[in-house]
Amino acid sequence: MSSDHENAPEADTEYQHAEDDGPQPEKHCGHGRGGMGEEVSRKEDKRFITGRGNYVDDIKKPDMLHCEIVRSPHAHARVKDIDGSRAEAMDDVVAVLTAEDLLEHDLATMPTLMDDTQDVLVNEKVKFQSQEVAAVIATDRYTAKDGAEKVEVDYEVLDPVVDAQDALDAEAPLIRDELDDQEDNHIFDWETGDKDATEAVFDAADVTIEEDMNYQRLHPAPIETCGAVADWDPGMDKMTVHMTSQAPHAHRTLFSQVSGIPEHKVRIVSPDVGGGFGNKVPIYPGYVVAAAASFVLEQPVKWVEERSENIQSTGFARDYDMTGELAATEDGVIEGVKVDVLANHGAYNAAAQPTKFPAGFFNIFTGSYDIEAAYGSLTAAFTNTAPGGVAYRCSFRVTEAVYLIERLVNVLADELDVDPAEIRRRNFIPSDAFPYESATGWNYDSGDYEKALDKALEMADYEHYREEQQRRIENDADKLLGIGISSFTEIVGAGPGEQCDIAGIEMFDSADIRVNPTGNAVLRIGVQTQGQGHETTFAQIVAEELGMDVDNISVEHGDTDTEPYGLGTYGSRSTPVAGAATAVAARKVRDKAKSIAANELEAAEEDIEWDRESGEFHVAGAPDRSITITEIAAGAYMNHPGGEEPGLEATNYYDPPEMTYPFGSYIVVVEVDRETGEVDFEKFVAVDDCGNRINPMIIEGQIHGGLAQGIATAMLEEVTYDDNGNVTGGDFMNYLLPTANEIPNFDTGHTVTPSPHHPIGAKGVGESPTVGSPPAIVNAVVDAMNHAGVSHVEMPMTPDVVWAALDDAGLAHKPAQNVEFEFDGASGSADD
Amino acid sequence: MTDEREITLTINGTEHTLEVEPRRLLVHAIREDLDMTGTHIGCDTGNCGACTILKDGEPIKSCLMFAAQADGAEILTVEGMEDLPEATDLHPLQEGFKAEHGLQCGYCTPGMLMAGKALLDENPDPDEETIRDAISGNLCRCTGYQNIVSSIEYAADELADRTATDGGAVTAEPGGGDGPGADDAEAVCGQSECCGGPDADLFERDYPTEDTDT
Repeated sequence: MSSDHENAPEADTEYQHAEDDGPQPEKHCGHGRGGMGEEVSRKEDKRFITGRGNYVDDIKKPDMLHCEIVRSPHAHARVKDIDGSRAEAMDDVVAVLTAEDLLEHDLATMPTLMDDTQDVLVNEKVKFQSQEVAAVIATDRYTAKDGAEKVEVDYEVLDPVVDAQDALDAEAPLIRDELDDQEDNHIFDWETGDKDATEAVFDAADVTIEEDMNYQRLHPAPIETCGAVADWDPGMDKMTVHMTSQAPHAHRTLFSQVSGIPEHKVRIVSPDVGGGFGNKVPIYPGYVVAAAASFVLEQPVKWVEERSENIQSTGFARDYDMTGELAATEDGVIEGVKVDVLANHGAYNAAAQPTKFPAGFFNIFTGSYDIEAAYGSLTAAFTNTAPGGVAYRCSFRVTEAVYLIERLVNVLADELDVDPAEIRRRNFIPSDAFPYESATGWNYDSGDYEKALDKALEMADYEHYREEQQRRIENDADKLLGIGISSFTEIVGAGPGEQCDIAGIEMFDSADIRVNPTGNAVLRIGVQTQGQGHETTFAQIVAEELGMDVDNISVEHGDTDTEPYGLGTYGSRSTPVAGAATAVAARKVRDKAKSIAANELEAAEEDIEWDRESGEFHVAGAPDRSITITEIAAGAYMNHPGGEEPGLEATNYYDPPEMTYPFGSYIVVVEVDRETGEVDFEKFVAVDDCGNRINPMIIEGQIHGGLAQGIATAMLEEVTYDDNGNVTGGDFMNYLLPTANEIPNFDTGHTVTPSPHHPIGAKGVGESPTVGSPPAIVNAVVDAMNHAGVSHVEMPMTPDVVWAALDDAGLAHKPAQNVEFEFDGASGSADD
Repeated sequence: MTDEREITLTINGTEHTLEVEPRRLLVHAIREDLDMTGTHIGCDTGNCGACTILKDGEPIKSCLMFAAQADGAEILTVEGMEDLPEATDLHPLQEGFKAEHGLQCGYCTPGMLMAGKALLDENPDPDEETIRDAISGNLCRCTGYQNIVSSIEYAADELADRTATDGGAVTAEPGGGDGPGADDAEAVCGQSECCGGPDADLFERDYPTEDTDT
């Protein structure tokens, strides 16, 4: 899927930082300028460690009201009547809003990112538990809650359907009966690849394998929930919404479309955001209700979710039921891959992915391997569960794709009795084959997969653990050892405008650099940090490209009144897209700086050279005749060359020519307790390659965090429902985030394979660990039991799940009968 | 809706008198009545620890306690850390979180700092397992905890160095101690794996306004 773009600059090959086995870069300590590859200490930290952050719930405005949402206890029910009179009679309750009130302002529904229409407040029928039914606006948080409890809703309870397979049954209750042409719960079918060619390969293959696997429903669950403070200014006819947004500009456009308020009269401010992980990409009813209430009441209105509201009603992730197959030669060379998926999208089609990709980038499921033929099919269904399908620390379903292929490769290795490392080696896309076009049409930019795997194997002391594993099997040890590998390829940096759009808006991104007369600069970007450290890393790009000290560059983001339009931060797109825009804008500034340098140095412009090492401009052949960006900045405002515009600034809107394809190899060694089913991490090695590295400290931090989320996925987390559609995993008592006790220390390493089409050779990195680690962990647990015939264990691999697998394979160690326990000195038997 | 009662909270050394409903949560009294928003809310069920504060020296989750229950208590929140006797510009824990990249989005950080403070008050030289146990009531979604553990280890080392330098004079009494001065580590560039040059302060560096050699 390549495209031609006049906007795409040549990759700058002037510098190569952080060669994989070269010396580690210095920490930024004031002795370098804080450019590419330096471990610059984070600019954003001071406000966070001193309690001076400014998150949405910290915002307080005069006369601010509080909004509490009344939610349905039922998963499927007709709303016969809503009586808010008892709430309205309360002293400090200002208003009770229902769909009827919103209809008056044409705000009763809102579009989802996949062009479905979702009720802001339920109009007629509830479609999932915790759906928004009414809103109570009061002068304080507690009264709003009291009021919500007094709103009486008369429901006619209907049969729900929560399982996607059941939902497609002809007898299943129809969830979306308000849609004219919807006669069942089927949403769409999707296909990729060449079915006939793939079938032919499978028919002729020496070996085929098949495995069913479920990628369970997850929730990103950032520690800060979603919330907003909406503030309608009737004097200016302007709506300001401070909100937990990963994509403020896209949200401004959507808000304008939903509300009818012209876009130049809508301001979205995303202040400090306490984690996003994809949860804060969609628009949720709470934001719209807060804005509607502020508009109607002409006072600021705050809405902040509780945790259970966050998990039970906002965008979930995954929920793919997958069957994968591989065809291979008897030597283990993979010739074909097939996959069939059933996707549960919940009550609305509210997945968050580029419009033309209803299954996201799932068709990257050929992974790191050179596979001749591939075919995939997917069916999506409505169910009486919360709507979603967001990319939880994931570039649009690549996580599901990587899990599928990395599990299948292990199943094949098992079938052929080939070492899992060796079978990967036999199938990797060779490093000299890039750029490489996959069987499903993706154009991989660069990679050296074997190098990353070799490094990981060495770091993990692979052979030692293989021997130890065998020894434990022979000794019938209480704890089995399992070793899992995942050699993943990511696809990030959405994306080229002709392929990728959100609600019609192409997925470019932007940067605007303004150099001040005193030689410092402000960079404004269209992406929005939620902890990724943009205020530091983006300043480093400018420091590198302009020869400025990183401390003299401020980065601003998240305010649509001042920042250039961008599509926001998710899908690891910030560095690939806005990072590229930043480098290009800085180079535009540098070009203009040359003419000022020529003027100041009394030389011809074509004789002015820029030296990356020193960051200074000088006359060709006369390095002593040099000038710094600080002096040039002064010249731009105080002595600008005749015939040119004064000032020193530039803007770039960057439409990437391609995606970037970071990759890596993870190796996990686990101990599986045969008596309890508990899994302990013995070793966890992560080798990542994200091209040229901007700030190694921040990259490593991102890897750590993503690996923890990978462990959470593999071992703990799942949003569960009972048959009545009750959410049974909908708060932190039941949706289990790992604590410091469940997460091991990680050994991280890296290789560097620059992206050839990115201006600074960088790729995205934040999601690689979440994408790449779950299959490594499952592969490890399965590997521990593989000698007894276990080929798969479903996630989350809680101790009971693992113990059941041990028991099925005849590996479980059971406590002896009548074990003697001692309690406070007294003894008794377990049967007493 | 219910009768309010007057309570007194001493927060970071300053006494506040306020009227609260009996049901008002301590975290809301701190954040909304007293406008100290460094203490956060993440779960409402006592699992996440973003609201952790020290009440009379003990770490508690301020979303699980009524403000009225804390009447008369001495409370420490993140906003008070810079003023503790063991702090210079910043408290060693704050320095540690910055130096070791122990935070990303920053939302769990105040609670982590409080949990770390409670631990080091009790045990100035904890091993890794002890640190992990001490912060196991605080959820972080960004860091994977490894760097948080390092941050607390950094603070423990820093406090031990200062204690050695001051002959054990560091005291936790508010207003006590004269604040440890610059330690030996700051004589050279303070960052690990650095160039070994002279110190550049974490926040307050002097920038040349002119840097010309022509």
